[in-house]
Amino acid sequence: MSAVRQSANGVFSMNGREWSLLVACLLAIVIFSVASPHYATSGNAATVLRNSVELLLTGLGMTLLLAMGGIDVSIGIVMGLAAIAIGRVLGADGNPALALLVGPLVGALLGCVTATVVVLGRVPAIVGTLGLLGVYRTAVFVLLGGQWLSGLPSSLTNVLATTVLGVPVPALVIAIAYLIIWLALRRTPYGLHLLAIGNSEEKARLSGIPVIKTRFMTFLISGFLTGIAATFYVATYRNVEMTIGSTLALDAIAAVILGGTSILGGKCSLIGTVLGVLLLRILQNGLLLIGVPSLWQPVVTGVLIIGVLGFEAVSNRLPLGLIQRARA
Amino acid sequence: MTEPFLVAKNIAKRFGALTALSNVDLEIRSGEVLALLGDNGAGKSTFIKILAGAHPPSEGELVIEGKSVAFSSPKDAASSGIATIFQELALSENLSIAENVFLGRELKRSIFGVPFLKRQEMRQRVDGLLKELDAHISDPEAPVGSLSGGQRQAVAICRALNLNAKLVIMDEPTAALAVAETRKVLALTRRLAARGCAVVLISHNISEVFEVADRIVVFRRGRKVAERLAAETNHEEVVSLITGAHPDVRALEKTN
Repeated sequence: MSAVRQSANGVFSMNGREWSLLVACLLAIVIFSVASPHYATSGNAATVLRNSVELLLTGLGMTLLLAMGGIDVSIGIVMGLAAIAIGRVLGADGNPALALLVGPLVGALLGCVTATVVVLGRVPAIVGTLGLLGVYRTAVFVLLGGQWLSGLPSSLTNVLATTVLGVPVPALVIAIAYLIIWLALRRTPYGLHLLAIGNSEEKARLSGIPVIKTRFMTFLISGFLTGIAATFYVATYRNVEMTIGSTLALDAIAAVILGGTSILGGKCSLIGTVLGVLLLRILQNGLLLIGVPSLWQPVVTGVLIIGVLGFEAVSNRLPLGLIQRARA
Repeated sequence: MTEPFLVAKNIAKRFGALTALSNVDLEIRSGEVLALLGDNGAGKSTFIKILAGAHPPSEGELVIEGKSVAFSSPKDAASSGIATIFQELALSENLSIAENVFLGRELKRSIFGVPFLKRQEMRQRVDGLLKELDAHISDPEAPVGSLSGGQRQAVAICRALNLNAKLVIMDEPTAALAVAETRKVLALTRRLAARGCAVVLISHNISEVFEVADRIVVFRRGRKVAERLAAETNHEEVVSLITGAHPDVRALEKTN
């Protein structure tokens, strides 16, 4: 028992849920390899990993938000706004240094806006971020003037598409972000406070936890990560389209829940989120290659969310009183 | 007789036109278990909320170790050494025992300005507290959600002790517990007093009160109507004090 608990504290240690996700990933790879001759190629593996970058970064932020009993359905459009800012800077003078700064900065600022609405303004997170989503959607439309931002200079791409000691820059950034968040979550008071708030905000307050500061910080961190995601997005595609990020929040929430983080807060898994993202992207890519139109991707994601939460609800089906007592 | 830890002088509390509490004088001593008894609405809860800093009194003053204090929040009361263990324990079920005991006041060391938890030290301290209380909890790393009601009370008591509480207020700690668990919590209550804490216990169970209390104070209709040493009274007298059948209470209520 104590050995299990020890290992559960490791940076990449896994529990049953996480091992089964890994098995699911491998199983999906095997099935798609058999079903499609184009699947098991190094080029396609690179595509899947490439497509996972933004989702991994925003997924880490979403893990913290859900663990805290929060949520943010506006991350896709926040990434869009940050991407537009990056695109404008790039388009103006192509200076990659400035372009690298502007994404995280805009992301963090918009994170502060979300925190102001949800934390200081006490609007429930799901409603507050849904409201912001509406506002930002129009802002993106107005800023883009109904057109794509396209043909951006490759200066940012040249910086971010390189490798450091053989490791691609996106992988390095994700690894660093993962490590920092893992340390904050498991080794500092912040992590305890986050999980206590996720369990019960009122009890956390009675325990003397700085609830408002902790919640504000977490929305800020999520915004910052979304800004970094926007930077990789622009570097990769060198354009910003009207529909940017429209499925990002759905995908992130699905991946995080798949990974074993509780939608009700108080429990989370970072390694689970990473595996959840990979499984989601493997499924989306594989289905595409066996001829399922990309139109169906959100359907798959949506069904996955409902399936996972439905399965958990059924497998935990205890007398209602027991559940309430356990959560009280 | 030792100097009391806390003296309540002429405490009154009014909510608009409703007088919840009037003219309460009370001394709370270190190392002593003081039981507050009374019917529903007698003013016990209002009184402990004033002690806990949750309500300011409308009249009167609280004196702690000779100094007059005025609490504007539960935090003020806590920093004066008063810990309240509410019936619905403010514990996080998803965190471990050790984490709960230190929650909000973690031990940490700063590395490059980042506050890292001193998990080892916190675990050892909690282990020591649990042993000292003889709480029969072997693993301070176990999640609180896996504990029984009595064990959770023990964790809440540990938390109070770890905050260096000098007065621990327990609001019906055994209300939701099975018999064996109740025994353990009562033993814990005694051990708290033996450690030098002042303990204020609210209970509806008179035999329980006789088991642990040194002194018994009875509230009735917002007033303190009696104070007895537990050794100098009995079950029947206490019941008659609570119901108002006792001649002393009748006399008191006639004069007003």
